[in-house]
Amino acid sequence: MSKNPASLPYPVGSQVPHGELKSIIQRVLKDVPVEFGETKTDLDVIVQPADLAQLVGGLRDRKELAFDFLRNITGVDYGEEGMALKYALYSFTHGHALQVTVPLPPAQDPHPVVPSLAALYPAADWHEREAHEMFGIDFEGHPNLRNLLLEEDLHIHPLLKAHPLQAAEILQGIESGPPGFKF
Amino acid sequence: MSIHWPEAPNLVSEADFDTVDMTINVGPQHPATHGVFRMVLTVDGEVVVDCEPYIGYLHRGLEKLSEHNDYRQAMGFWDRTDYLAGITCEVAYCMAVEKLSGIAVPERAEYIRVIMAELGRINSHLMFLGAFGTDVGSMGTTFSYAFREREKVYDLFEEVAGDRLFPTYIRVGGVSMDLPDNFEQRCRWVLSGVQQGLEDLDGLLTGNEVFVERCRGLAPMTTERAIALGITGPILRATGMPWDLRRAEPYGVYPRLDFDIPIGRSGDIFDRFWVRMAEVHQSIRIIEQCLKDIPKGGLVLNPDLPKTLRIDEGECYFRYEGTKGEYGVFAQSKGGNKPYRMKLRSPSFCNLSALREMVVGTYVADAVVILGSLDIVLGEVDK
Repeated sequence: MSKNPASLPYPVGSQVPHGELKSIIQRVLKDVPVEFGETKTDLDVIVQPADLAQLVGGLRDRKELAFDFLRNITGVDYGEEGMALKYALYSFTHGHALQVTVPLPPAQDPHPVVPSLAALYPAADWHEREAHEMFGIDFEGHPNLRNLLLEEDLHIHPLLKAHPLQAAEILQGIESGPPGFKF
Repeated sequence: MSIHWPEAPNLVSEADFDTVDMTINVGPQHPATHGVFRMVLTVDGEVVVDCEPYIGYLHRGLEKLSEHNDYRQAMGFWDRTDYLAGITCEVAYCMAVEKLSGIAVPERAEYIRVIMAELGRINSHLMFLGAFGTDVGSMGTTFSYAFREREKVYDLFEEVAGDRLFPTYIRVGGVSMDLPDNFEQRCRWVLSGVQQGLEDLDGLLTGNEVFVERCRGLAPMTTERAIALGITGPILRATGMPWDLRRAEPYGVYPRLDFDIPIGRSGDIFDRFWVRMAEVHQSIRIIEQCLKDIPKGGLVLNPDLPKTLRIDEGECYFRYEGTKGEYGVFAQSKGGNKPYRMKLRSPSFCNLSALREMVVGTYVADAVVILGSLDIVLGEVDK
């Protein structure tokens, strides 16, 4: 039934099994201390913030891995248990995909610090700015960590679980409502 | 006979002046920005030396709202992201939730989804073709050609789902109701109209030397640079890379369908325009195959769905070929009837982040054309 593509310059559909990709990473990047997990879609590599730059640099530059495309950066807040950053990577050469998870301490003052990937992947620029304003994560080495979606002078982190869902007017003190979130 | 011109006076050369860069604010309310988008251009004469985009005017807190509504309620927010093709966002959202929960979809519903999503893609691309023609100065004729056909598609949406822009037709586990009886006939009639509209636009733009000269060679881009900047969708394909998630990481019934991936050569403005025009033809091809192959009769919604959808702990990053590029949905569940975290990887957002690099060094008048060629939807950029 499959009438499929004449020729594509990349392998279709992450045909590399997760186990195989895992063993390649273990072999090629054996100096980097990582743990492995699995999501419903991708292999998950868990790495501490201090080793992130080394890991991602290796993932990008080693021929066997060649992750040349940073798809997405997602922040997640787990409340007391801390936070996490999820990087989604893809390789146009091999057609495989990967998620890199960076566990972080809970949101607090001072903010958790992660090395910026903007120098490795220009695509990381806006994703990191978004994660910075939404979660209060600082990206060390980022050229321009200003607010992107929120107002320039608004220093709140709305996607933290401690931040309640409420009308902007109450937050800004223009209208009265149930007691708001103290910044 | 010779003419004796008076001797030219000593003209002051430009070197005697200190030129000062000028700052021009464009937007947020400006017809050329296609929504509430603002950019601050710094110009040296006619040449742009810097460009700073400002977004967020349409930020509605999609992700926060999704965390506070259950899986079915939250869908209404998601089709308001890419509002030119809301149906594709619904499909992407529902497929992400299905990936997370493992809910199966009846085959007839899979085909209906593809038909509706490709109609949405046609609508979005027609909007681009119309608006882009206006951006480069065809003064609205392309707009009327494109909108003539878009109306027909929207009418079809209304017949199927009861709403035009935001059908909320897709459900987790299928679609909300079956197609109306005369759908096949009506759909073929709409497609023949779209075909006609494309011919009109093609004659007006592709063969128009003024248009071609205006667009060709402007803001070219290599595949490597586009990948590094996170560009996907028609703009990446215009650089010559036939990367389409419907082929690269297939989902639904796309592996059974026969269609081509149109590509450009240099990634310039004309290629981006041409790729989108060719993609509409491919979408028509896909819909015609689906109308032929779709199972006659059968369920359109999984009958085993629970009353309240509770999903076990887990996470996934589902990616969908939206109309503008990779529409990624990161979904995480911690049990319960609400998602713990939903994140949209919006293709317009990522494509727009490359605007500065494309615009710097061009003329002010080109900046508007380059922005138009990105085909951004601000609902998707700002979430």
